Amino acid sequence: MAKLTIAVAKGRPAKRTIDMFEQANIHFIDFHEKSRKLVFYNADRSIRMLFVKAVDVPTYVERGAADIGIVGKDNILESRADVYELLDLGIGKCKFSVAGFPDFTINPNETLIVATKYPNVAEKHFALKSQPIETVKLNGSVELAPLIGLADCIVDIVETGNTLKENGLTVLEDIESISTRLIVNKASFATKAKEVERFINQLKRALE
Amino acid sequence: MRQINGDSSNRAVLQYKIKNELIADLTHRFSLYGYQEVHSPTFEDYDMYASIRKTVNKDDMIKVIDRTGKVLVLRPDGTIPITRLTATDPGIDDSEQRLFYVFNVYRAAENGEKETTQAGVELFGNKRPEADAEVISLAVETLKGIGFENFTIEIGHAGFFKELIGKADLAADDLQQLKELIQTKNIVEIEPFLEKLPLSAELQNALQTIPLLYGAPKTVLEETKSIIRNENMQQIFNNMMHVMDVLEDYGVLGNITLNLGLINHMDYYTDVIFQGFVENIGKPVLMGGRYDDLAEHFGKRMPAIGFAYEVDFLLEAMKRHQLTATNPIQAPLALHYSEERRRDAFAAAEMLRQRGYPVVTMLTDEQKEKSGIWMSENRNLFSYGKTKSFHTFEDLMELVDETFGGG
Repeated sequence: MAKLTIAVAKGRPAKRTIDMFEQANIHFIDFHEKSRKLVFYNADRSIRMLFVKAVDVPTYVERGAADIGIVGKDNILESRADVYELLDLGIGKCKFSVAGFPDFTINPNETLIVATKYPNVAEKHFALKSQPIETVKLNGSVELAPLIGLADCIVDIVETGNTLKENGLTVLEDIESISTRLIVNKASFATKAKEVERFINQLKRALE
Repeated sequence: MRQINGDSSNRAVLQYKIKNELIADLTHRFSLYGYQEVHSPTFEDYDMYASIRKTVNKDDMIKVIDRTGKVLVLRPDGTIPITRLTATDPGIDDSEQRLFYVFNVYRAAENGEKETTQAGVELFGNKRPEADAEVISLAVETLKGIGFENFTIEIGHAGFFKELIGKADLAADDLQQLKELIQTKNIVEIEPFLEKLPLSAELQNALQTIPLLYGAPKTVLEETKSIIRNENMQQIFNNMMHVMDVLEDYGVLGNITLNLGLINHMDYYTDVIFQGFVENIGKPVLMGGRYDDLAEHFGKRMPAIGFAYEVDFLLEAMKRHQLTATNPIQAPLALHYSEERRRDAFAAAEMLRQRGYPVVTMLTDEQKEKSGIWMSENRNLFSYGKTKSFHTFEDLMELVDETFGGG
């Protein structure tokens, strides 16, 4: 049986994560990009890798279904999972921002309507500024919300800002920067200390 | 109760049996260390809970209003009621009290109200490191006894971080964020975060070190020396050292991990805090710590340390580790009778019960079941494994004793 289970976010960042594993001398032999398999093992079957939806990675790790997770900071923040966050893999860099029409100013005395895929992140950010808000949870095309009057502004991930620009929006303020992180279940960190440490050190060396 | 062949397929019965066996096992071990059972009422005074700040979130308590309009809560934890009972008992001076409890606690959870069973111990009236070590080693022994092979008790200290941060004048938001960074061991973000704060380089360095103070107790304590900044921290350090020495003599140090980044999971803890993890189970199965100030809410200075198991969660963990094997549930003896033999059947059943056999009597006209005892107009039949007829009650008792261990 595998000693360690790693949950990796499916999709774009997966390939880069696997490349990093390769550099760290951790090989998932039967992995190739077009595979539809969701479970892979390394050569000596000591490590099992699960491909799961990015938003689910923190859940897998928090509940101990995976010992380690590789996932964007955006999903960690939104899930508020109680896990250790030990490494910044330095890939998938972008930021959380508040965006809206260029001439929009936030009125601190009025409830701000914020459309977002990340209601927890939005609430935490505005709570720190004592700004009352109401969130509208959307699952995509968030930029549309201010255009049609569904919300005053949006909280979303911004990489290049092109999507915003094309829709006549601009960044009003930055919340925080995001990149791919390595998270660890707190119980695994305690009960599988050696295995977890070895894995992290291997990755660290590859990162240097 | 004597063991009778046959099993029950009633799942509620089986599940409750497993839970009861676990509770019996835990309470047995608690009592072997000299702890005695106490109980407290389900309804508690809301004002009492609300006045003790930073314990249970007010929104998480389940409130009820009585006939006079007074607000009550369904007991949301075990430690506070037991502390109240002990602190307000005029018969207890400063003597040591070793108590345990098993009861349900009630909290509002995200998906509706939640009732869970807690089993915990509290040791009152002893402030020495020996008391800390006793309680922690009891936690180790119970986990061992249940059958877990790979488990760890993580020990931290509620005062260490407080002392370190003591004089730094931080805004509440910043302090909260700093705590989060330390608790998540977020070494990546802690450095840039600390640089933004008005802290001395020395303190910055010490705070950055805290998340790394994790691992085998003696090694971690050695590393901790470098960040001790004042007399209080030195005392905490000496105390931790002492606790570890005692734990070593209990022979349980192998199951202990020191984690000085474990800051607080309940704000009433004052000193040692700890939580128990078993392999492949994401959350701690037990939590505890020292709470020397809590009894002051009830007008008494009384040092205290304790921990509690979340029994239902522990059961889940045991299931996943395949540790919930139980003997099949024993079905009672079935005594079938025809109407004209009713009186005889009841008399026979009573004799069997007096000998300790569970018996169910039932009116049965014909023999459908494979096994059982039949008393009808023209025959007395005993059929468990072997089939024999009997004539007198004494014959029946003999047959039952022979088959089911008897005597």
